[in-house]
Amino acid sequence: MLDAYGNPWTYRLKWLYLLSVVFALLLPSFYIIYISFNEHGFGARIYEFTFDWYRVVLGDTMLVASLKWTAYLALATMSTAVPMALLAAKFYRRARRKVLFVTLMLSPLFVPADIMGSSLLVYFKHLNAACTALAAALGTDWLASWFELGFVTALIGQVVYTMPYAFIVILITMSRYRTQQTEAARACGATAWQAFWQVEFPQIRVGVFSSCAFVAILSFNEATRTALLKGGFDTFSNVLVSQMLNVGMSEESYAMAGTMSIVAMVAIGSILVYTLARSERLEREARARAEPVMSR
Amino acid sequence: MSDAADMAVQVENVTQHYGAVAALRSVSLEVPSGQYFVLLGPSGGGKTTLLRLIGGFLRPTSGRIVLDGRDVSGLPPNERPTSMVFQSYALFPHMTVERNVGYGLRLLRLTNRQIRDKVDAMLELVGLSGLGGRMPHELSGGQQQRVQLARSLVLDRDIVLLDEPLASLDAKLRKDMCLELKHIQEKVGITFLHVTHNQEEAMTVADHIAIIADGKLVEAATPRQIYGHPRARFTAEFIGENNLLDGRVTECDGAEARVDLGHARVRVPSGGRAVEAGARVSVSIPSERLRLSDGGGDGLERLQARFVERLYLGLTHNDVVRLDDGKDLLVRSLASGAGPDPVPGSRVTVAWERGDARLHTD
Amino acid sequence: MARGAVNARGAGRGGTTAGPPRPSWRQRVLGENGLQRWVFYLPAAFMILFLAVPAALTLVWSFFERTTFWMEPGFTLFAYENFFYSARAVNYLHSMLHSLAAVVVSFVIGFPIAVFVRRRVPQAAQHRVVLLFILPFMISELVRVFAMRPVLGRYGLINTFLMDLGIISEPISAILFTPLGVIIGDVLSFLPFMVFSGFLAMEAVQRYIFEVCDDLGAPAVRTFRDVIIPLAAPGIFAGSVFIFVNALGTALVPTILGGPGAVNAGLIANQAIVALDFPLAMAISAIMIVTLVTLLYIGHRLFDLTRILEPIS
Repeated sequence: MLDAYGNPWTYRLKWLYLLSVVFALLLPSFYIIYISFNEHGFGARIYEFTFDWYRVVLGDTMLVASLKWTAYLALATMSTAVPMALLAAKFYRRARRKVLFVTLMLSPLFVPADIMGSSLLVYFKHLNAACTALAAALGTDWLASWFELGFVTALIGQVVYTMPYAFIVILITMSRYRTQQTEAARACGATAWQAFWQVEFPQIRVGVFSSCAFVAILSFNEATRTALLKGGFDTFSNVLVSQMLNVGMSEESYAMAGTMSIVAMVAIGSILVYTLARSERLEREARARAEPVMSR
Repeated sequence: MSDAADMAVQVENVTQHYGAVAALRSVSLEVPSGQYFVLLGPSGGGKTTLLRLIGGFLRPTSGRIVLDGRDVSGLPPNERPTSMVFQSYALFPHMTVERNVGYGLRLLRLTNRQIRDKVDAMLELVGLSGLGGRMPHELSGGQQQRVQLARSLVLDRDIVLLDEPLASLDAKLRKDMCLELKHIQEKVGITFLHVTHNQEEAMTVADHIAIIADGKLVEAATPRQIYGHPRARFTAEFIGENNLLDGRVTECDGAEARVDLGHARVRVPSGGRAVEAGARVSVSIPSERLRLSDGGGDGLERLQARFVERLYLGLTHNDVVRLDDGKDLLVRSLASGAGPDPVPGSRVTVAWERGDARLHTD
Repeated sequence: MARGAVNARGAGRGGTTAGPPRPSWRQRVLGENGLQRWVFYLPAAFMILFLAVPAALTLVWSFFERTTFWMEPGFTLFAYENFFYSARAVNYLHSMLHSLAAVVVSFVIGFPIAVFVRRRVPQAAQHRVVLLFILPFMISELVRVFAMRPVLGRYGLINTFLMDLGIISEPISAILFTPLGVIIGDVLSFLPFMVFSGFLAMEAVQRYIFEVCDDLGAPAVRTFRDVIIPLAAPGIFAGSVFIFVNALGTALVPTILGGPGAVNAGLIANQAIVALDFPLAMAISAIMIVTLVTLLYIGHRLFDLTRILEPIS
């Protein structure tokens, strides 16, 4: 609420401040996109708009292959982390020892990428050795290479990293859901699954879908943990890092960075627009609700 | 134990713990088929816990729950012969009224035509014909609760559980809905088990009332008995407006006990209970049975008191008098028949018919 | 439809008081007391297996003996000596200072935004305003950090802009490849978190509290110090720990913005991995994890961090 007695200019100034902070946070990314469309790259005094650098990126077979890995990994992460976060959120709502559980679920937020990556790397190496030894002892090769560095270990690293975000998003949506509705559905004869799928899920769908997008973007952006855990393949961001560190900022790497920003912005932008439009609609409904229906 | 076939609900020694807290302690209860049965008690007393145990939303820590003669203790809600009406917020907000009511039928895989017919009939019964296309948020609170009732009744289950169904309604609407619930129950003839903390609501609808407090079943009886002849001290305290006096039995001759209140002695019918001399007991007298009297008469018990004040309540008024031990008594009488206000501080005699007092031994 | 359709499965209505109906094996395995119940433990199990256990084991591995390419069981303090009796410890302390500076700057810039949004923006719009800060966060940190180079560099956006305006005649070189550059990078990377956690904490502050303060005529500074800070303390603390630990542990920022010799814990660990000195990497990880747990524990004892979660539970 606006303070009716406050100075409107102070209020506008505060807004200006807020928006300029957002702008400052976004500026470098926009600047990179701007550079990436310049024929002459960074530092040139002339600006000629071109798609050439993007053509170079998309023409690079290694890069396209890495994009494929990125997509696989993002999809796999999404389809693992989101259902698990959903389970976790449902568990949390009923759990008695909430503090312990929520600490466990949210702690990955607080573990920096390189630290989590290194300790998981060493863990997987040990685990792999143990599994191989166990498989040899049992005379089976079923267990042998489960935790060999590769897609699965990179996936696990990313799931650990992204699950807390999905968990929070789903939990926030779920906090608006009334559990009596589940009980009502059960009383109507629904099984636990039917009650979830037919009554609860339609109401938390938005949260689940946005957490899907959230997780996919996080996975798409992730570089450090993946670099440590991936074994043989490269994701797009892995290639970008090695390019930047080895070659420095080339025109091509600007285009790659531009690609990553644009993809993220388009994805998150469309989600934001959708959510805002939806909350607008819900608000209109809420207003309609506030006006009582007189017929009884 | 009564014939199992006639009992819709049998709760046998059920105990429910939440962690270290006991919400119910070894409760046993029987609800005959076809009755409107009310669980009444103060908030936090365990009545909703009991209802949720019967509905299958909680798993008893120990004890058995038998519905229609079948042990259902291990079954989830959807496999029990019960359906439930919740306090509020329990309608599915993303479905129309029609779909809400028909939800359970669709789970049973009835044909669309069957569902439509049943839903229409049920909406008619609860007085919502023509509103099937509305969304829940387009209905008033009373209408929402009717939809909930329809959603439960349409399933043709043997037992309908109602968890404070009227709690979110205002006083006037609550009264109307009470009567309507009663009439609907009479029409469909199945067992209603209704939880409330509101005694007026309970009195209006119930065939039987069970008082539940502090995790225990205090007593169960018809509304008349509960009001007129409560056995437990708690019931007398909770239901109606009773004056409670504590004392010690000096002698008991079977039909009547003499109770020493400290400042006076009174005679109280023992209600057929054997009471030993020396036992601590309570005596309760409804406020409307007391009167300020100086007149004589046989069979009257009297206590000396000082008049404190008179509270005007419209139809009746309450006189507050103070006994010599400092305890206040309420004397209720019709405002129309009252004489002039006594002077505060003046001595008065409080009297009652001996038969109107009740003895409580717990 | 006959009355009591649900009874079809078990004994009929009026049957004798039979024992509990025996569930089919399918029900027993897949039913609510079978898999359906245990599946909810999956996320916790996953987190224990792939977060808690590895984190605890880093402590153990940090005492292992280093071999040429790997490590072997043993007990040695070599890794810790290697860390504490070298330039690494000093660098680590420096990077702690830089992280602390990043926390303070983020707080000064970010927290007033959280307060402003909570206090002055209409309720319905609050979440949307906070969502604005998701946007930069959703762009890869990699890109954002790298993008600082063309912005802060000698011929970067800021310098050319200021020189074009004639405000400066020489490019400012203190803002890239310096500790200052690292701090700027950390702030730009993690600032949104201060806004988020600050806002979440401010959700715990009821609106009427501001009105009471206004009503009592409390000056803004007093309101901030005596009311807002104590009430929002858990959120401020959580946000600060987040920024501190991540600034300390994210190798990317010093690698790209820090210039020669700039390191932090993350980078030391990363370099140790590259050098195949696994016990050293584990020792640094262990130090980080212990630091983190200690900080969170202290914060929890001081402010009860669970209060942050109240709005969503």
